[in-house]
Amino acid sequence: MAMEPGTLSPVSYSDAGALQILNLLFQSLLSADLADDKIKPYLAVAMPQVERLDSATLFTYQLREEATWADGSPVTAADVAFTLKVLKAPLLNNEYLKPQVQFIQDIRVDTANAKRFTFVCAGYSPEMELLTGDFFILPAYLFDPDALLQPLEVAALSGSLSELENNSNLKAFAARFNSSEYGHSTSILQGSGGYTLESWESGKYLTLKRKSDWWGNDIPGAPYLSANPGRISFQVIPDNTTALLALKNRQLDVLESIETSEFQRIRQDKSFLDDYALYTPDTYEFIYAGINSRLPKFSDKRTRQAIAHLLDVSNFIKVSEQNFATPTVGPVPPAAKAYYNERLSPYAYNQQMAADLLKAAGWQREQNGWFQNTEGGREQLTLSVNYRAGSSSYENAAIIFQQSAAEAGIPVQLQAMENSLLSQKLKAHAYDMFFRSLSGNPFVLNFQPLLHTNYADQGGMNVTGFGTPESDNVLDAINKADTPEVKAKLLKRLQEILHDEAAFIALYYLKDRIAVHRRFGNLKISGLKPNYDVSAFTLKE
Amino acid sequence: MRRLWQQEAAFKGAALYLMLLLVLVLLLPWLPLSYAPNQLDLAHTLQAPFEGTATAAHWLGTDDLGRDVLSNILYGARTAFFISVPVMALSTLLGLVLGTSAGYFGAMGLRTSRKNLLLLVCTLLLLCYYGLYLPLQIQRLGLGVQMIFESLSVCIVLPMLLYGILKALYPYTPFLRASVAVPVDPAVLRLTEALSTIPRFVLILVLASFLPPSVLLLSLIIVLTLWTGTARLARAEMMRIKQLPYFEAAQSIGLNGRQLIWRQALPNLLGPVLVAFTFGLGGLLALESTLSFFNIGVPSTLVSWGRMIAKVRSNTSAWWLVVFPGAILSLTILALYTCNHYLSKIFQEKSTG
Amino acid sequence: MGPYILKRVLWAIPALWGLATAVFLLSRLLPGTFGTEQILQREGAYFSKGSETDRKAAYREYVARTGQDLPLFYLSVNPKSQASAITPHLTSSDNAQEQLEKLSWRYGSPAHAQAYIARVEALEKSFETSADELFRAKLALLRTNDHIAPLQQTVKEIIAIAPQPQVRAAAAKVLTALQNLKQQQQPLAFLLPQWTWHGTNNQYHQWLLRALQGNLGESYSSSRSVTAILLEAIGNTWWLLLCSMLVTLVIALEGSVMMAQKRGNLLRKFLLPLLFLLDSIPPFVLALLLLVLLANPDFLQLFPVYGMGYYMPQKLSLWQELMQWSYYMALPALCLVLFNLPYLTSQVYNAITAAMQADYTRTARAKGLSEAAIVRSHVLRNSLLPIITILSDFLPALVTGTFIVETIFAIPGIGRLLIESVLSRDYPVLTGIVLVVAIFRIASYIVADVAYAWADPRIKQKMR
Repeated sequence: MAMEPGTLSPVSYSDAGALQILNLLFQSLLSADLADDKIKPYLAVAMPQVERLDSATLFTYQLREEATWADGSPVTAADVAFTLKVLKAPLLNNEYLKPQVQFIQDIRVDTANAKRFTFVCAGYSPEMELLTGDFFILPAYLFDPDALLQPLEVAALSGSLSELENNSNLKAFAARFNSSEYGHSTSILQGSGGYTLESWESGKYLTLKRKSDWWGNDIPGAPYLSANPGRISFQVIPDNTTALLALKNRQLDVLESIETSEFQRIRQDKSFLDDYALYTPDTYEFIYAGINSRLPKFSDKRTRQAIAHLLDVSNFIKVSEQNFATPTVGPVPPAAKAYYNERLSPYAYNQQMAADLLKAAGWQREQNGWFQNTEGGREQLTLSVNYRAGSSSYENAAIIFQQSAAEAGIPVQLQAMENSLLSQKLKAHAYDMFFRSLSGNPFVLNFQPLLHTNYADQGGMNVTGFGTPESDNVLDAINKADTPEVKAKLLKRLQEILHDEAAFIALYYLKDRIAVHRRFGNLKISGLKPNYDVSAFTLKE
Repeated sequence: MRRLWQQEAAFKGAALYLMLLLVLVLLLPWLPLSYAPNQLDLAHTLQAPFEGTATAAHWLGTDDLGRDVLSNILYGARTAFFISVPVMALSTLLGLVLGTSAGYFGAMGLRTSRKNLLLLVCTLLLLCYYGLYLPLQIQRLGLGVQMIFESLSVCIVLPMLLYGILKALYPYTPFLRASVAVPVDPAVLRLTEALSTIPRFVLILVLASFLPPSVLLLSLIIVLTLWTGTARLARAEMMRIKQLPYFEAAQSIGLNGRQLIWRQALPNLLGPVLVAFTFGLGGLLALESTLSFFNIGVPSTLVSWGRMIAKVRSNTSAWWLVVFPGAILSLTILALYTCNHYLSKIFQEKSTG
Repeated sequence: MGPYILKRVLWAIPALWGLATAVFLLSRLLPGTFGTEQILQREGAYFSKGSETDRKAAYREYVARTGQDLPLFYLSVNPKSQASAITPHLTSSDNAQEQLEKLSWRYGSPAHAQAYIARVEALEKSFETSADELFRAKLALLRTNDHIAPLQQTVKEIIAIAPQPQVRAAAAKVLTALQNLKQQQQPLAFLLPQWTWHGTNNQYHQWLLRALQGNLGESYSSSRSVTAILLEAIGNTWWLLLCSMLVTLVIALEGSVMMAQKRGNLLRKFLLPLLFLLDSIPPFVLALLLLVLLANPDFLQLFPVYGMGYYMPQKLSLWQELMQWSYYMALPALCLVLFNLPYLTSQVYNAITAAMQADYTRTARAKGLSEAAIVRSHVLRNSLLPIITILSDFLPALVTGTFIVETIFAIPGIGRLLIESVLSRDYPVLTGIVLVVAIFRIASYIVADVAYAWADPRIKQKMR
């Protein structure tokens, strides 16, 4: 892995490496199966039963009978309640995950069945189902042996929490929980997953060992629960090129995020290809350009479409990603074939069409640019492009765009800036155009916060100001859609509107590059991070 | 100087090369180059030199975005000189002023009344608060130009008020009239020491991380850190000259400070300063290329040798991206150091002989 | 000599500590902290995991817990009309706070501005269901604008078109708050400074205490402890530096000694210009040239391309590790030697030639000692002092000089850490590195001091 995990605490982890390891140690109620990129019940028996009330939604789960912790005791709803308390209580190092579970107001444990419980959630949104199952369940016996949090009620943890901050039990628990022991100790980090943390050499490697008879290995209804390899070792190699060297010397079995030029090189290496198989899965991360449609000079959508025609996507892909990318028509990934609108084609690079569109929008081409008469006088069409500094993809795209625009007679100024500054400017709507990336997933295609006009105020996620009454209706309808066919039709219509409005222009989806040793099978290569499921690896004969 | 020109072939070669480069750089806009430096030729990325047809001739190859190496080298020379020469000149000027005054006034030379000192200190404080801090905060909150004007006007009015008060009190208080020595020499010495304990590159890196990439800011930072070398030299020379007989003679005639420095001292100081100038210029070229190589402090739209050389890190087989710009860069620095070497030899002979 | 070095140390300490303080303060003034990336702006996905208000609340808790909402320094000077002495960077991520600041600055009275904002919040609550289009835009204006006239205008519009009576009542209250603000305004109040003393309850003090105990905080990008990162990096750089410095020193000394002798004329004519040439090639060009020529898979591959070496989970024997390490370090060490050789050689050579012309050399020659003996025993001994001066200046320069080699050869050392932390704006690590450089400088001065005493018994005498 590229970076040593800062901490392996299932509550305050913050990097992808930690997430990968935690997925092997702990489990959540629902998780994604990388074989087919679908959400499946892991710790739960089945997907939750959803009951929608007026102002609340109830999700009822049943835990698997066989599920046990490392010491053999069964996983019960009490553990789920404990997890919620840890995630929501003040004074604890949990601010990272807290907003995610804020909507869960209460948990009701079924008195008859210790493995059945119901979440009471405020309001409803389509991704709630996924989010109720998205956090790791913690073992109460291990994390809180003195039952300090027992008297606390989950329901009391929503709303104002200032009185709780003086609770002595909570303070005692916080003192222990916030220490680094809880994120690094092999004895505490034992969950219901198939592996335990055997050793962690700081800065060098982490080793996981398979539990001797893990309950999850032979469940008939859930073949995707697996723990095949006996021992997994993660090497911490911060430097990309050293990692590649180690791979070439046959010291690593799996390496992901291989740099593009190196990947091209090892593709040609016959002896390497004998031992390793190379994969380039499509990821769910894409690069897009946004135009500030609130500015008067961009208010006419033909101007924005003209600018879209000046984006030379194929050259972006060739130069920045060395062709490891797929052009896309909208924010729906081309890999999601059911929802991707194939009939639309992305904006082609076409100087003539751009010029025609600008003329149609009322701009006049003169000696040194395009001009338009407005109430304030004459205005020239100029662009200032913002993007995050330090990434060559954005920079190359911006430079190529600058040249294309210069050919069309539009002077473009480039401004690379720091990420937080960029976010600030975008939220304050103080920009012309920007390049940015967004990562998603195939499960919930809820674009409401991103594209609905409700979120188009200052500070909302809809920074481009995109939105027509029809698109708002479509977005609402998508969230209410009950069948995939209806959803597909609506999503395709959304993509058409996005394409037409040309304020949020998706450019291309990235591909990742992985090498895996040929002796392994059942790799579950997928676009979702970490792109492979090491617990499913089997040795080929 | 003439003797040097005639005798030493190396000096002649170096000086000629530099002058040729200068002429080329100045005439660049009118030269018939087939490609502009920032022009992308996406069909011919990473082309090796001496390939290509007659129509699409990239004589020295292209980089990964298709920019022509030859025109980038020439325009890079332009950038290098247009940045380095003014920066070096400014810092030399600053160093000269500070070093000469330190050498001339020593610790006790400059005397002024307490009133002036008080006025100076108060003005500086007021300037910092009303002239820098408040406008910056107003700018950050976005409150508008009017408030900035108000702050700046207070910044001007208050010192004037203070001046008036002090001037009125002046005849009545012996305290204000007392003459106080301004310790110019120790102050400048401490400042140079403080600045030189910090490795310059670290300082530039740290400052560059706070500020957005801009050539102006970078030049300012470099000027503010580079003057120490010249200052030290000027100070040493000034102190040496002060003890020479002709200087004492001039003092006894009755020439005042300004004339002394301007007429007698400076012409003799110029020699060593020129030596320092050429040396510093070479170093500055290297520094500027290194910064643009790491993409720190300079915007990436700036045509520069460093930017071109940086591309070789992701394409290690593109040797032309490092050999050609690197060769020109090294040759230029070599020429500067050669001139510096011979010039210093002359001035050393002159001062000892 | 002794007191001189001591004085240098005494002056170096405040200068370098001043720099570390400056870096710390500047880094806290800039918008964005570790928390903003992770907590406030986690929206890389299609949907946001958690609503905006929840995230803001979590962020505020995080900031309170880690002490980032404390004032910055012991003393702060603020305009009288500033609402609070809270560190500036927090206001930029909080719209309400920002509007409060703007209003207080512009109209001079924080209390009234606070009252206005409270009334606006009440107005928002008075809409039973979430306001529709028309009102939302107006409410947004009330939340962001900071001039009284447009605010009054907007409130009047709301009163005119609102259907519910409680909305109109709340809006009327907002209007009175605005009226108060207008009547009590003191537009120039921001020009009056106000001093507040914070005592030890400020961020700088906390940082200083922790730094003195060895805890330099955590990195923004990887949230590992800064001390751990620095120690790792120093470990990687240290041996490379030491080896290359020793090699450079040996070559410089031997070369100068050989050149100083009469027999060395030919060598001198050849070596000095070569070193001069070498000096004019900028370090990064040299390193890249060597890389491209000697470590290129398409060209000659005498050396491996990058890195610190193989990644071996098993333990190798010491000899094997050494062999492997030197194979990978050969090229970077060669680069470092080539960078520093010209400077060091010319300085050592000057020192030796100066000593050669001294009186005691003539005496030694008259005594009949051979050239070699003269050079080695007399000249070298006496030129040690200037050499030590040169070295003490040289050591810290090595540290920063290696960053080029480390970045190009992908060695995870201090230099590369510096560049990376600058590029990713990782301020805790940057402050830590500056401190390390400072300490290193001071240490080199002290070592030079000791070396002086050892080299010249006269100094030892003086110091006694």
